[in-house]
Amino acid sequence: MDKKTCCSENNPFFIDYPGRIRSIQEAMARDGFDVYLGSRLRTISWTTDAFCPWRSYIVIPREGVPTLFTFVIDASRVADDTWLPEDNVRGYAPLGGQDQITQISDFILYALKIKKGRLAYETGLSNYTPEGNLSQYEYEMFTAALPDFEFVNAHIIADKLSLIKDEGTVNRFRQASRYTDIGHETVRSALVDGGWRGKTETEIAGIAEHAMRQAGSEWAWSFTAGNEIASGYRTGYAGGACTPATRRELQPGDSLMVDLHSMYRLGLGDYAYNYLIAPVTDRMRWHARNYLDVVRMCLDNYKEGATPLGLANMVMAMAEERGFVEYVVPGFEHGIGMMGDEWRIGLNTGPIKYWTDPNHSYRAGEMLICAVQYACPDENIGFRYECPILIRENDCELMARFPLDVEEIE
Amino acid sequence: MEDNLKYLSPSWRDEVYKRLSAELDPEKMNHATTSLVSVYRNCPDGKDRYFLVSCTDGVIEDVSVGEGEPPEAEFSIFGDYDVLARMSRGELGAQGALMSGKLKLRGNMVKALKLSSLADRLNRVIATIPTEF
Repeated sequence: MDKKTCCSENNPFFIDYPGRIRSIQEAMARDGFDVYLGSRLRTISWTTDAFCPWRSYIVIPREGVPTLFTFVIDASRVADDTWLPEDNVRGYAPLGGQDQITQISDFILYALKIKKGRLAYETGLSNYTPEGNLSQYEYEMFTAALPDFEFVNAHIIADKLSLIKDEGTVNRFRQASRYTDIGHETVRSALVDGGWRGKTETEIAGIAEHAMRQAGSEWAWSFTAGNEIASGYRTGYAGGACTPATRRELQPGDSLMVDLHSMYRLGLGDYAYNYLIAPVTDRMRWHARNYLDVVRMCLDNYKEGATPLGLANMVMAMAEERGFVEYVVPGFEHGIGMMGDEWRIGLNTGPIKYWTDPNHSYRAGEMLICAVQYACPDENIGFRYECPILIRENDCELMARFPLDVEEIE
Repeated sequence: MEDNLKYLSPSWRDEVYKRLSAELDPEKMNHATTSLVSVYRNCPDGKDRYFLVSCTDGVIEDVSVGEGEPPEAEFSIFGDYDVLARMSRGELGAQGALMSGKLKLRGNMVKALKLSSLADRLNRVIATIPTEF
């Protein structure tokens, strides 16, 4: 789908980007900011509709169209992808006056003609490497280049506005989940009836990726290694939430974790499905039932007003009662938004700064990844569930249509 | 022309305009609409000067020189007189001067890349003018 089609209001994937900018500018006016300097990947995606893998910055004035700054080698491509006018995408380069600090500060001073005032910037803490908070060096250089500005950490503006997902965003997530559905169907077809024999984790990742790319996925976006595949003992890492595919060949009696990632216009697909390769013991089935019951309990209870802590208490009580509490990672979701918006649930309101607020009360329209990790390292077995969900008033919508199961294959 | 023209003088400006208009038609200028001002710091007399070239749809419209505050332009290049003069003599390339930080460019870098060949054409014509630096 080309850019112009997707920019039509009648398009299901339409997002009102100028409206998003206006909402930021209204917040800036309310909070007394003259300019917003966004540097986090989540802010860049949410405001530009472009994938910006290089260090990028968006400068949003109180009025008018923002300007994006990215590495010069990628600026023309970004300009082609974004809704922003071509002249509002600038490339920085290691040339006099064109480094990112000088170019952006000159732009604010001489192009926007804002000589002094309050500047909103983004900093904080993240467990997510590509978060994009302003670095200490950048902060020092910008404050030196813009001496008459008061710098105020104001990421809360973008965080609040991006919390509830609009229809176009949700539809992009739905489309991305179609891709993971296709990837899983293809992997399943390749594994059943003995097809698993001789296959490696990397090969399975590639089979899925090929199918999803054929369908239109732009990228297996996960920073945790694209399509994550684990087999045998590797499924049982304690807390094992990151499993880059290896050259390990599948073996009889293995558990197999297939966690696929896709992207459609910065909307993200993320679905994990699990197999047990024959011969399967009763003990393995017991673990599988435990895992499935945890997932079902989570999915049955996500709705407006639920909280991460409430859900965790409920699930862990069940796990304690049934004797498998030590195998359950006691957190069942992570945040999600357009590319770069990952991990923390809700806003920065928790007792441990920049981590999920355990008492965050979900609102209809929020999205998250239901993420269940069940691992028994001593028995070399584990399972993972991940699925993007949309919180609704009385329940949640699962973006993926692929079934929930632990499938036994011969 | 009998004598060298003094660099950045009104007579040099007139000659620049004459040669650019004669030698660079709109086709050669890619029908570009843009403006570039070079700001000379630390001229031999201690002053700052500027040199502006602007074109519309590839037609050279304005060539001006002056002292003090430069006019607004789509692109501005800042540098010491010695650096910019070496460029005008063809002794120093713009890219090398920018990469070494001897020159500072202000303006849309992506668009500047697209227009860089035009700047080279301008400089090649200007370099043909007998000039006293």
